[in-house]
Amino acid sequence: MRSLNPACKFISLLAVTLLLAGLRNPWWNLAAFSASMLLLLLSGVRMRTLLLYLIPVALAAAGMFFTGYRFTADGSMPVRSDAFLQGSSNLLNGITQLSRVLAYAGLGYLFALTTDRVFMVRSFQKQLHLPQVFAYGLLAAWGIFPHMALEYRRTRAAFKARGIRVFPISPALLAPLLVKSVRWSEELSIAMESKGFSSDAERTESTPVHVHAKDAAFTAFCCIILPVTAMLLR
Amino acid sequence: MDKEMKAWKLKDVIMMAILGVVFAAVYMAVFQGGLALSTALTPFGLASFGFEIIYGVWFMAATLAAYIIRKPGAAMITEMLASAIELLMGNSGGLTVVLTGFIQGLGAEAVFAAFRYRKWDTVSMILAGIASAILIFCYELYYLNYITLSPALLAGQLAVRFMSAAVFSGIICRLAGDALAKTGVVRNYAIGASADIGKIYDEEE
Repeated sequence: MRSLNPACKFISLLAVTLLLAGLRNPWWNLAAFSASMLLLLLSGVRMRTLLLYLIPVALAAAGMFFTGYRFTADGSMPVRSDAFLQGSSNLLNGITQLSRVLAYAGLGYLFALTTDRVFMVRSFQKQLHLPQVFAYGLLAAWGIFPHMALEYRRTRAAFKARGIRVFPISPALLAPLLVKSVRWSEELSIAMESKGFSSDAERTESTPVHVHAKDAAFTAFCCIILPVTAMLLR
Repeated sequence: MDKEMKAWKLKDVIMMAILGVVFAAVYMAVFQGGLALSTALTPFGLASFGFEIIYGVWFMAATLAAYIIRKPGAAMITEMLASAIELLMGNSGGLTVVLTGFIQGLGAEAVFAAFRYRKWDTVSMILAGIASAILIFCYELYYLNYITLSPALLAGQLAVRFMSAAVFSGIICRLAGDALAKTGVVRNYAIGASADIGKIYDEEE
C-alpha cells in the first residue's frame, strides 16, 4: 500500500467508502474493515500503533451501536423505506451503524498510515490537477505545524510558570497562537514569493510523481470490479 | 472556476491553510472531548449528542477565514484546506473528510454569497454556520445512515447542532476575528481596512 500513487489510492479508497455508504450492508462493512486492518499490518504498521488508533474508533462504534439499537426509525419516519433499513430488528440496525464507523475509519487509516504527506500533496497537484498555489499553501502550512505545536507548548508552560491553570483549548492559549500564525503566514508568503513560488510560474520537479500499472490495477479493482461484484451479489 | 482559483494569491492561500491547520488541531482536541462525552452517553443511545454539542467547531475555519479575507470562495476553500490537513493528520472519520469539508464550506459560502459578500456581522456568520449544519446533516442522513434513526432523535440532534453552529462559528468567530483585527496582524486583509487598530502586536518587542 505504501508504494501506491497517493492520488490513485485516495480515489480508490474513496470509491470503496462511497460504495459501502450505498450498500448499507453490515457484512460488507465488516469485510472492508477486516481487509483494511490486514493491509495495514502487511504494510508494516505496528500492531500497538494500530490498537491505539482503534481505541477512539471502538468507542464511537459502540456509541453508534446503541443509538441504532435504541432509536431505530418506526412508521413515523416520513422517508422510511425498506431500501434504507437493513432489517426488521433493532439489533441488526445497531450492528449496521457500528460496522459503518469501523469500515470508514479502517479505510481512512489505511490511507493516512500508508501515505507520505508531502508525496500526497504533490500527487494531488500532478494527477488531480490541484492548482499549484494551493499545493504550495498546503505544504507551507503543513511545514509550519511543528512550530505551532511548539508555540502552543511554550505558551502553556508560561502560564504554568506563573501558576495559572488553563484549559487545553482555552482562548488564553489559542489567541496568541492565532496571532502568531497569521504573522507567520504573511512572512512565509513573502519568503516563498521571493523564491519564485508564485501562483502562475511553472516549476520543474526533482522527483516526478507517476502513475504505474499497479496503481491503475488497484484503482480498477476498487472502482470497477468491487462495485460490479457488489451489484451482482445483491 | 479555474480562473477564480488562479486569482488567489499565495498570501491568501497560506493564510487560509494556516487557519486550516490551527482549526484542524482544534478539531482533533475537541474530538477527544466529544468522544468522552459520547462514551458517557452511550448506554442511553445518545452518543451522537456528544459530538452535536461541539459540531459548530467544525465550521469555524470557514466563517473566520471568510470574515477576515472577505472574498468569494474563502469560506469553502478554507474548509476544504482544513479538511485536507485533517486527512494529512490522520483522522478517524475516513477519506470522505474532504467531501464533508466541501459540503460544510458550501453551506457557509452560500450564505455569504446570498448577502453578496457585503454583510459581515454576527447574523451573517450565525446563518453561515447554520447553513453548513443543514447541508452536512442532509449528507449524513445518507452517509451515516441517520435515515434509519427515530425522527425525534434526529430533530433533537439538529437543534443542538444549530445552537453549536451559532455559538462557535457565529459568535465566537466574530469575536475572534475582531480581536485579531485589533492586534493589527490582519491589517493587509479586508477586515483590517474597517478595524479599529490598537497597538500593533510585534513579537520582537
